[in-house]
Amino acid sequence: MEDRPRINFMWHLVWDFRSELLQGLVTAINVSISALVLSFFVGLFFALMRMSRYGFLRGLSSTYVNIFRGIPALVSVIWVYFGWSLLFGYNFTVYQAGVIALTLLYSSFFAEIFRSALEAVHKGQREAGAALGMSRIRVFRSIVLPQALKIAIPNIGSMFIGMVKDTSTFTVIGLGELVYITQSINAQYFQPFVLFTAAAALYVVAAFVIDYLFRAIESIFSYPRQSPVKRFLTRRKRAQVQRLVEANS
Amino acid sequence: MNLLEEPTEGSVIFEGIEYGPGVSDSKPKRGKALDLRRQVGMVFQQFNLFPHLSAIDNIALAVHSVTGKSKEEARERAALELKKVGLIKWAMNHPAQLSGGQQQRVAIARALSLDPKLMLFDEPTSALDPELVGEVLAVMRQLAETGMTMVVVTHEMGFAKEVGDQCIFMEDGYIVASGGADFFDTCTNERARQFIGSVL
Repeated sequence: MEDRPRINFMWHLVWDFRSELLQGLVTAINVSISALVLSFFVGLFFALMRMSRYGFLRGLSSTYVNIFRGIPALVSVIWVYFGWSLLFGYNFTVYQAGVIALTLLYSSFFAEIFRSALEAVHKGQREAGAALGMSRIRVFRSIVLPQALKIAIPNIGSMFIGMVKDTSTFTVIGLGELVYITQSINAQYFQPFVLFTAAAALYVVAAFVIDYLFRAIESIFSYPRQSPVKRFLTRRKRAQVQRLVEANS
Repeated sequence: MNLLEEPTEGSVIFEGIEYGPGVSDSKPKRGKALDLRRQVGMVFQQFNLFPHLSAIDNIALAVHSVTGKSKEEARERAALELKKVGLIKWAMNHPAQLSGGQQQRVAIARALSLDPKLMLFDEPTSALDPELVGEVLAVMRQLAETGMTMVVVTHEMGFAKEVGDQCIFMEDGYIVASGGADFFDTCTNERARQFIGSVL
């Protein structure tokens, strides 16, 4: 009979290296948050471009979206980190390269999310704003955007979870994120099952927390139900309205 | 009439200023659409309230962004307008929490909050339950009594007969018949008589 070696799971490694692993997760989330903020604005920009009346701008935007939606994160970061340095002689830090690579990819997804959300806002809303004599910018900012964001936020949350996971490929440029840390601990102890299971668990925990946070953000934009977060944020306004109602009834 | 639909030709003259492209070959428009819209209130068939804002904020947003008043002042004005249409108790409700008739009254209050010189009503009661038509017409009648100039597109012939000073009967985009306050009694146009007869 074949002699199977006794498997020794060194689960204690997870606890021993807890601060290193958590630090890796924090790095991954840091990069993702920077990229989230950038992608939000770049994506919105491309969404507006795609809805422009000028065919040239629409074409430019859809080309951008279709190219970057199709590129894997690994390729994107190698491009940005090594490619940019070879072509232009400028070296990004690994952190910068990670943020730029993610932004390039995710702003294209965001552009599509925003486009569909903006188009979902009823045409009558813009008409009503215009009929009241509100400027186009004001109509967009105060009427269309808040309604579109409510539609877009759940998708943005899913995208953000995807961003955190995609940082795992940034190991190739030596960014000290979770997989990079896991690999270096593994190199010493050769416990891939234990260590990568721990890494996976941390990603899942992060996904739960992110989901919870985005639900809280979504609740601020939801109506007519008023979430506690929204009630807190609008407490002064509600107090004024309460006074006005009493004064006028 | 407030240039939401951009006219291909012809123009609207309001308070001595001409808006729109004018009759072909004439001078281009002289007034900006935005300036016209700020003087002309509009009420839509589908209300078009902003669903993400409470009744009072629907009005306050318009006041704040068009007149430049502070948000607090805008809310004070909004409260006054809501009181006039009898909805001050519903100030905090969102459009989804109001009946159709209430929504339309908020929409009227919203248009009035900007002190328009003219009010346009685009079939204001067509999307309403028959039961709720009355409350909206009551608000409009009240408004007419204050001397507001109103242009009302409506199928409510009873209301038009009672309130209208000038009546125009339209079909397929053309004016078929027109007349003054006594239009309903004196109109001789066959098609208009037929319509009035079938609705009144």
